[in-house]
Amino acid sequence: MSAGIVRVAADVGGTFTDLVCFETDAEGRRSQVRTAKADTTPPNYEEGVMNVLAKAGIDPSGIDFLVHGTTVVINALTERRGVRVGLITTEGFRDTLEIARGNRPDFFNLHYRKPPPFVPRRLRREVPGRMSYRGQELRPLDLSGLGDIIADFREEGVQAVAICFLHSYADPSHEREAEARVRELWPEVSVVSSHRIAREWREYERCNTAVLSAYVQPVAERYLDRLRDRLGSLGFAGNLYVMQSNCGVDSLDAVSRIPITMVESGPASGVWGAAELGRLIGEPNILALDIGGTTAKCALVEGGNVRIMTDYWIERDRTSAGYPIMVPVVDLVEIGNGGGSIAWVDDFGKLHVGPRSAGALPGPAAYGKGGANATTTDANLWLGRINRDNFCDGEVVADMAAVENAIANVGRRLGVGIDEAARGIIRIANNNMVNALKLVSLNRGFDPRDFTLVAFGGGGGMHAMALARELGVRKVVVPESASVFAAWGMMMSDLRRDYFVTRLADLEPDAAEGIEAAYAETEARAFADFEAEGIPPENVTVKRFGKFRYRNQEHTTEIELDAEPMSGESAGAVSDRFHEAYEREYTYRLDAPVEMVGIHLVASAEVGKLEMTGREATGTPAGSSLKGVREVDFANDGVHAADIHDGSRLEPGMRFAGPAIVEAPGTTIVVHPGDRAEVDSHRNVVIRIGAAAIGGNGTSREEADGEAAGRDAGDGERRDA
Amino acid sequence: MTGGKHDPITLEIIQNSLQAAADEMFAAMKKTAMSSIIYEVLDMGTGIMDAEGEIASSGAGIPAFIGVLDKATRVIIRKFNRPGDVRPGDVFATNDPYYGGVTHLNDIVVIMPVFVDEELIAWTANIAHHSDVGGMAPGSLTGEASEIFQEGLRLPAVKIIEGGEPIKPVMEIIRVNSRMPDVLEGDLWAAIASVRIGARRLEGLARKYGTRVFADAMSAFMDFGEEVSRRALSRLPKGRFELSEEQDDGQNFNVAITISDDSFTVDLRNNPDQAGSPVNTSRDGVMVAAQMIFKSLTDPYSPANGGSFRPIRLLTREGSVFHASEPAAIGFYYEIELRVYDLIWRCLAPHMPDLLAAGHFASVCGTFIGGIHPDTGRQYTIIEPQLGGWGASRLGDGNSAMFCGFHGETYNCPAEINEARNGLFVDRMELNLEPGGEGRHMGGRGIVLDYRVRTDNGFLTAGYTRSRFPAWGLDGGHDGSPNYIEFIPKDGDRQRLAFTSGLPTSRGDVIRVVTGNGGGLGNPAERDADRVREDVRNGLISPDRALEVFGVDVDSGTKPDSSPAAGNG
Repeated sequence: MSAGIVRVAADVGGTFTDLVCFETDAEGRRSQVRTAKADTTPPNYEEGVMNVLAKAGIDPSGIDFLVHGTTVVINALTERRGVRVGLITTEGFRDTLEIARGNRPDFFNLHYRKPPPFVPRRLRREVPGRMSYRGQELRPLDLSGLGDIIADFREEGVQAVAICFLHSYADPSHEREAEARVRELWPEVSVVSSHRIAREWREYERCNTAVLSAYVQPVAERYLDRLRDRLGSLGFAGNLYVMQSNCGVDSLDAVSRIPITMVESGPASGVWGAAELGRLIGEPNILALDIGGTTAKCALVEGGNVRIMTDYWIERDRTSAGYPIMVPVVDLVEIGNGGGSIAWVDDFGKLHVGPRSAGALPGPAAYGKGGANATTTDANLWLGRINRDNFCDGEVVADMAAVENAIANVGRRLGVGIDEAARGIIRIANNNMVNALKLVSLNRGFDPRDFTLVAFGGGGGMHAMALARELGVRKVVVPESASVFAAWGMMMSDLRRDYFVTRLADLEPDAAEGIEAAYAETEARAFADFEAEGIPPENVTVKRFGKFRYRNQEHTTEIELDAEPMSGESAGAVSDRFHEAYEREYTYRLDAPVEMVGIHLVASAEVGKLEMTGREATGTPAGSSLKGVREVDFANDGVHAADIHDGSRLEPGMRFAGPAIVEAPGTTIVVHPGDRAEVDSHRNVVIRIGAAAIGGNGTSREEADGEAAGRDAGDGERRDA
Repeated sequence: MTGGKHDPITLEIIQNSLQAAADEMFAAMKKTAMSSIIYEVLDMGTGIMDAEGEIASSGAGIPAFIGVLDKATRVIIRKFNRPGDVRPGDVFATNDPYYGGVTHLNDIVVIMPVFVDEELIAWTANIAHHSDVGGMAPGSLTGEASEIFQEGLRLPAVKIIEGGEPIKPVMEIIRVNSRMPDVLEGDLWAAIASVRIGARRLEGLARKYGTRVFADAMSAFMDFGEEVSRRALSRLPKGRFELSEEQDDGQNFNVAITISDDSFTVDLRNNPDQAGSPVNTSRDGVMVAAQMIFKSLTDPYSPANGGSFRPIRLLTREGSVFHASEPAAIGFYYEIELRVYDLIWRCLAPHMPDLLAAGHFASVCGTFIGGIHPDTGRQYTIIEPQLGGWGASRLGDGNSAMFCGFHGETYNCPAEINEARNGLFVDRMELNLEPGGEGRHMGGRGIVLDYRVRTDNGFLTAGYTRSRFPAWGLDGGHDGSPNYIEFIPKDGDRQRLAFTSGLPTSRGDVIRVVTGNGGGLGNPAERDADRVREDVRNGLISPDRALEVFGVDVDSGTKPDSSPAAGNG
């Protein structure tokens, strides 16, 4: 072990802290994988990390490379556990934070409540000084009032100062000056200025970003310090990286300065895991689906690339405008539809699933902790998809009487029997997820049939096959480490930084020079940032993207550019590429001038990433993982006797056909009649939808068994309820 | 639940998918539009109608547009009623309130039939405000117009695309009539893309489940909408309620509302004749106003569709300001629609105190500023509604700086984008600290927004109501404050404006937009003293006013006299 390399990923989630550990021998050929789960321990999350390391039997002093993902930022925000913030902003714009954008998503509701600002008016203070949108100084910065402002802030108990000036994305010098002066006058306070996080226009969004970053900074910094100390005291001397929302990792120091970039790191690592898994198995186009306890998240990976945007909001839904955070976040759609989502019938006899969740307490009815509401998990249990005799890997005895009661209640309100009610819950939940998957694919001009669905999280394997069938997706992959997939994904991440800079220019040959200068300047900034981490430029990979639109439009389409410097000729090629991408997404193109609005630069460097090696097929027959047969209700696809496979005994090369269930630790895979499953060399289960249809190619015994088991057990009546 | 012969879950899934399709249409249009009034203000709406033109589902956007699309679609159905008139791939357009357009000529409704094989199963449609459709003034809106002919190109429910192919002459006529042809064309194509995307989704849905099940799901959805409304209607107080209210221009508007167990009747017959100015609306427009407030009173959370509005009865008098006849000008229809909306609200508020708050600033405060961008030399036109204060309710203080009830998922323009795109300075945008809206619960604050013009030969057009009579207070709460523009020329005297058309502007002039605070609720002397102190600390009210109006001595830390009489001004 000492000669090899030990890589560990520890992911703090809402309920569990997950761990994945890879030990690779000196030749890098053989690796040993360990996974573990421990309870998450709020508010001292580092406890959970120490516990999970201990549980997995890992000595911190032996770890070479540790990646950490944490919910400390999003929790501090949603639970309002940040610090008191004072804001310093441009004269005339003190109320920007409160005025916000004036929208009312819940527009028929005359009692709509506008989300209150994180900083009260008296702590929002102005200083004179003005930049133009082109970054020219219109009026010099006047900091003569700063002393008084800081005195007031001190008296009010402010612990962090946010600075946001108009047009600082174009020229941040006023913000820099103010920041330096604040540090001088008040060295111990935490200071954040907007340009250090975002270099894009829209003053409300940027200002709120600076404010929320300041709000969580001391909390996150303290947490990261504690983590470093605890690990250090146990002899950890390896490299520590922290997962970001842009699917990359960053160093502890960089993250401590701007922790807000961690805000959506959990979902990002899952999406990145799906992208990396795609690379590993030769599938560049992936629909990633993560079904957890309270939500389902989906994202699209095209050509191996994830889409990163800065249009991220927290607490935003149909009833609230929410709060913007302008940091690079993977583009995903999240809906309140997970295993714990509650099924309910409204006053008009309509069935809904979610977004309210039974959470961990009381949890689904099956937990037997007093949960009276039927959840998706309860329906899955009732229909025989989840093994009632091995619920939660045998750690919980499923309270089937409570499940029956809860689903029967739903059925009564719908006027249907209990089986039909359970099927209805599954169908509505599936439909919600299908619509979410359409949002990230069809809605953006991509045909889901061209994509492979990678399904993970506790519930991914349970629903993915039905969703795939609905969307015309032909292949589903349930990863070997589906239940700790976020940890797996962060282990596979690069050190990555996304730079978004607003820069307006007409996309014309004579503008190429100016555009090139903007890229070059940002690249220089990127190289300097990496160099500060001890990573030389030759180890940094840079990808250029640009945001373009037709003149007069507002929203932009992002196009990847060539690595070579932009020239008069290449401007034309970029323009062609824009027209093409635009037409794909929106069905038409225009003969109108094209405008560049901003640049997006992705700089990344590999930091001890793992190279996975597959294993040969073992020739173990599929029957060896078979542990029984039970009656399973496949909702739209009828009730069938299904083969039950033990997921921990799956070996590369095994093949079997649906109807079948794979019971793996932390997750269940539902293979529908007509589908065919195969275990690949990385022990992922690959399901081909409809591939075992009529008659099959009937070569293997397993498939023949599958066919035989396909006899219909009647229309909806369970024999052993 | 009706339509019960089908599996209810299947119907539910189709209904969810209708909503998803309408939302997708909305997103597509927002992302491709060229006018900020569409992509940022989101002065647009999308919807899905059944084969008969009843609205089954609508996308986000603004509530005032939800009831428009069905009316326009029905005009198309009536007009193109012979076999072969409506074919797969066709697209229709109307913008004329006398031909189903409901609102004003700037708003083009684009409508597409949805076919499965040869069977017409539904319609998809959208409406959006186009920046310039011709007429006598830039932006097509002017208070000077006395006939609709002066307000731009009229599209009297015509076909613009046949079997997927644009009808070139019609497209050319539309284009050539605009002062901003590229923008109009871009926006029109955004609208076309949006109805096509919706049509594609619906066709897929109907093919999957069968056209019969699809149609039944739609009609069950509307029956559901009706059931929701009727059930809520039964809980509203019954009777006849009346209100007469003086307007800024000295006219009186009158409303009588009768609520019975099965209907909600709005009688607007007793109102002035249509105006010689563009402050008129079509009857359909008034219906939309009634639908908006009705939906808020019944069930604001459930989907709004044709069924939701079935209990509404509307009585108007043709030739009146609320039922204009051709060729009355209707450019500022939205202010009149808002007056009806606010009139109904105010009439019912005393009788439904838990449902209705005090009055809000209740004007779109439509502001049109144009000129030459000093850095690009190109023409710019700002067309924007303004944020203002909302009224206090029994639940608490009113919201500050929100768009009026006519709007919904509407966004203001960031100063940074405004300065770059339009080449003027935004010197400040802050809360309006004028007195007004005091009460046990406070009305929300309006805004003060200063535009400084950077080039000569620009113009300002605006139409603000509630400029003389501000938002109304309730239960002893004070009225709010007025909406107005203060024009501060570099040289010359300040002017206070509510309606102005084509006012010339020059470099250095400041256009100050001031929007009203919402009405207060309850006696200010009953306001919690700590809240008053908080307002003082936040610089929203002065210590003097705290004492004078709320009876709170900020320095003493005690409330000297808690009797309601104290300081009630």
